[in-house]
Amino acid sequence: MKATFKIWRQEGGDAEGQFRLYDVDGLTEDMSFLEALDHLNEQLVQRNENVIAFEYDCREGICGQCGVFINGRAHGPNDAMTTCQVHMRSFKDGELIVVEPWRAAAFPIIKDLVVDRSALDRIIEHGGYISAKTGTAPEANAILIAKDKADKAMDAAACIGCGACVASCKNASAALFTSAKINHLNNLPQGKQEASKRVLEMTRQMELEGFGSCTFTGACEVECPEGISIINIAEMNASRIKAKWLE
Amino acid sequence: MFIRKSIIAATGLFLCLFLVVHLSANCILILPEETARTLYNSYSTTLRESPLIKIIAYVLYLSIMLHIIYALLITRSNKKAKPRGYHVNRTKDNSSWISQNMGFLGITILLFLIVHLTNFWARIKLGIGENVGLDNNGHKDVYEVTYALFQNVYVVLFYTVLMVPLGMHLNHGLKSALMTLGFYHKKGLRLLAKLSLIYASIIAIGFGVIPLIVFFK
Amino acid sequence: MLDPKIPRGPLEHKWRNYQTDSQLINPANKKKLNIIVVGSGLAGAGASATLAELGYNVQCFCYQDSARRAHSVAAQGGINAAKNYQHDGDSIWRMFYDTLKGGDFRSREANVYRLAELSAPLIDHFVQQGVPFAREYGGVLVNRSFGGVQVQRTFYARGQTGQQLLLAAYAQLYKMKRAKKVTLFTRHEMMDLVLINGKARGIIARDLVTGQLKRFVADAVILATGGYSRVFRLSTLAIGCNATAIWKTHKRGAYFAAPSFTQIHPTALPQTSEAQSKLTLMSESLRNDGRIWVPKKKDDNRKPEAIPEEERDYYLERRYPSFGNLAPRDVASRAAKERIDSGYGVGRLKNAVYLDFKHAIERLGLKTVRDRYGNLFKMYQKITGVNAYDEPMQISPAAHFSMGGLWVDYELMTTIPGLYAIGECNFSDHGANRLGANSLLQASIDGYFILPNTINNFLANCLHEGSQTTEHEAFEKIEIQVENHIKKLLMVNGTKTVDHFHRELGKIMWQQCAMSRNKKGLTKAIIQITAIQDSFWKEVKVTGRNNEMNTELEKALRLADFLELALLMCTDALEREESCGAHFREEYQTEEGEALRNDQDYAYVSAWEHNHGEFKLHKEALTFDNLKPIVRSYK
Repeated sequence: MKATFKIWRQEGGDAEGQFRLYDVDGLTEDMSFLEALDHLNEQLVQRNENVIAFEYDCREGICGQCGVFINGRAHGPNDAMTTCQVHMRSFKDGELIVVEPWRAAAFPIIKDLVVDRSALDRIIEHGGYISAKTGTAPEANAILIAKDKADKAMDAAACIGCGACVASCKNASAALFTSAKINHLNNLPQGKQEASKRVLEMTRQMELEGFGSCTFTGACEVECPEGISIINIAEMNASRIKAKWLE
Repeated sequence: MFIRKSIIAATGLFLCLFLVVHLSANCILILPEETARTLYNSYSTTLRESPLIKIIAYVLYLSIMLHIIYALLITRSNKKAKPRGYHVNRTKDNSSWISQNMGFLGITILLFLIVHLTNFWARIKLGIGENVGLDNNGHKDVYEVTYALFQNVYVVLFYTVLMVPLGMHLNHGLKSALMTLGFYHKKGLRLLAKLSLIYASIIAIGFGVIPLIVFFK
Repeated sequence: MLDPKIPRGPLEHKWRNYQTDSQLINPANKKKLNIIVVGSGLAGAGASATLAELGYNVQCFCYQDSARRAHSVAAQGGINAAKNYQHDGDSIWRMFYDTLKGGDFRSREANVYRLAELSAPLIDHFVQQGVPFAREYGGVLVNRSFGGVQVQRTFYARGQTGQQLLLAAYAQLYKMKRAKKVTLFTRHEMMDLVLINGKARGIIARDLVTGQLKRFVADAVILATGGYSRVFRLSTLAIGCNATAIWKTHKRGAYFAAPSFTQIHPTALPQTSEAQSKLTLMSESLRNDGRIWVPKKKDDNRKPEAIPEEERDYYLERRYPSFGNLAPRDVASRAAKERIDSGYGVGRLKNAVYLDFKHAIERLGLKTVRDRYGNLFKMYQKITGVNAYDEPMQISPAAHFSMGGLWVDYELMTTIPGLYAIGECNFSDHGANRLGANSLLQASIDGYFILPNTINNFLANCLHEGSQTTEHEAFEKIEIQVENHIKKLLMVNGTKTVDHFHRELGKIMWQQCAMSRNKKGLTKAIIQITAIQDSFWKEVKVTGRNNEMNTELEKALRLADFLELALLMCTDALEREESCGAHFREEYQTEEGEALRNDQDYAYVSAWEHNHGEFKLHKEALTFDNLKPIVRSYK
């Protein structure tokens, strides 16, 4: 099959970027979207051009490193899927495929489709952990956790940190990402000890990083590869109010 | 960010409550003319003269101002967080048009509000423009003002059509406000979504239909 | 003979004795010591966080954009621990036995015992760090069984066990970054090791954003760089996984042990096209309830549901009645290969077998199956577009885990003083074959529990030596070498892409050095790989420059090392004239086609020295004082 890619090219963070058109032949429906880009890159090398920089690592939807805007959607046309899981069968033969990097002030472009998402790491750095040193743990079954609690924590913990929530949000809000981590830890008895500190510090860092605010459009939960619900954001808001005003 | 959002949400909720009161008062207008005139005029007099209502009125003015000011501030910082949009963006596929356009809807409501306040508040409360007459009980004849205004087909259309953006704004606003203020009960939120829709529909249809009824009365 | 420095005493007391005998460093002195950790997976992040908690200054490196991306993330199935929560006869000894037997008696008793011994506290540790392991309604932890064992000792967090463990480690890493005890260098790739006075004292790393080469100095260097199965190109590994760090250190003097021991995973998704870059793994936990079969008739083109029960060959259950579908990975992979090669394969390219949940759904109900494997079924549908609740999955073997790696002693130190290797990049606990759910375990234990205890013995003596700086001439020298290596690659300016050569290499390695090997094939492979290497350096084309983000250059640099490593892998496979674990030499098999191990001549770890391009074999004798090597039978 054939496709025309319209891809954002940008030499570096400070450089001006623009779209470039690439006609690509010899694709198959079984190819993943990233393999189609690989294929294009091989052709670019043959033509003595610089390859398109784009991110990936595991290519099985779990590491969270890949992620571009494809035809107006974060991670492409399907809901709840990473870019690496998109296959060319999702596109029509000869289709124009527009590929753009994540757009957010907190995610500066490094090159072409590669953006810097370290802001998300810094949110984790400010409390997205349980302060317990190696060697200090009690016996695992000493603290019981009801299945529904554990499941709820797991639902929130499933976040892979790809940044699609930020990318698809009209305000570039990182509320879904931040709330998922807060709720994962705050719902577990082990994480309760520093729950208030965690929610205040992480939300503060989120603001400092320049993410926008959540207006509950719900776009993030549709694009989230792990289907993390925006109810998490409401729960984070509740925890925050509790931590800030009631304790 | 959180405080600003919470203020928008809290003031929004207060305004939602106000609309219920406002709408129930408007319902007087569809009663038979004599009853309506007496009731409506005495009601509006009470509103103007009761000290308690006065305080609430100031809270109302403040709420509207805060709601607008903080909405503008937060929109500005949100724009800063997303300085550049996408070449192609299919927001339709992941979210409702309403939720993506609350600002725009808010501005249309603001326009409506300005006209609405000029028509009533400015004339009755501030005494700007044409003098308002008195009814048999010596109350300002607000009913007459309303009745006269809604004889103009363009005014009626304006009042009716602009209730559509209001309804939309309320539908998203009500549930969003409660989530902003930390309501996260899963089943409750499902119920809330339905209630928001019902509430917004009642408000929009109620406010929108009354001018038509008055027009055809 | 190599000395693994096994501590004194009976097996059960060795680790305790080691700790009793080893040196300590007082907290004030720890502050003065710097440690480099390359890699941020479970081993690397765990070690970095723990060392930082102890007071050392840590510099941690990863090539990804964030430490959370490391490939530990992809392990789905679970992590083993001898907790005996299920009351099914499990114990440290039983786990030790299973692991040693699973590795076909090609690993060290003392190491394996320590692995089993530390598994239980590791679960405590992860629970405390907030890993949301699966729970019973009563609130206790759940276990399931996993390939190669008959007890239920595997802990899991839905299908995301690796992700959840790594996130715990990553969070601890960032906690210590916040405490200013860890400096993190993301998007940095180690290019070479710097030795001063024969000791590992630093690295040269390339900043992948600017292309700049940077020098980093420390008192010890820890490699936690993961596996190298991308040498096959098509593997279950992340695309960026590479051998560069361990290969470069190997060339600087670290011995490489059992390089050819590569696990082929039985339950990956089959290859569908030439352009494929990756084979996605389906967790082998699926084998707990799924049944594997092929049609009894060759070239049966009927749809799976049209094939009646009596015409299906449940070949694992037939050949290995007591383990059935839970036979260890190497056995299951080879059995699949045997069926596929004999013409019973299914799927478009006839390169797969069925993994069927029909019976499981009948027995357990759809809800339970969905509960246990829901996300795996979802993932299967995402990739293939097929709903596996309705029709069986198609699976196929794929290159997976590298049991081989840098040779390390009981302290996890390589043959270069001050250079440690932890996690998948070393050769330590898995012998010739790794049991399912033991890799997360080994990586975590190496990083959290073992290395932070053993490194003191080395560092205690570093205090007198004083610190070094990056101004030392050794840094200068090596940096220039790296720079020249990169320049040389960019200057080839040939006509073929990096991926072209990688595909060529992969094909040869998959044919000759994967599930089954023979002398003729391996000899031929060595000649072919040498030829590819030759043409790579004459014909490869890498566009772009060095001093910018250049993903093509990164690939090329990694492939250059894979090409050299592939030669060593074939050399190693050729030298070992026996079949053991994942290493199956066709010349050495029983009449029934099972592996024929030779304990008389090959009960040793092959540790290879890089001697100016010649590989020189050193041996570490394996003695079994506690278990008598038995024939590994899963019948």
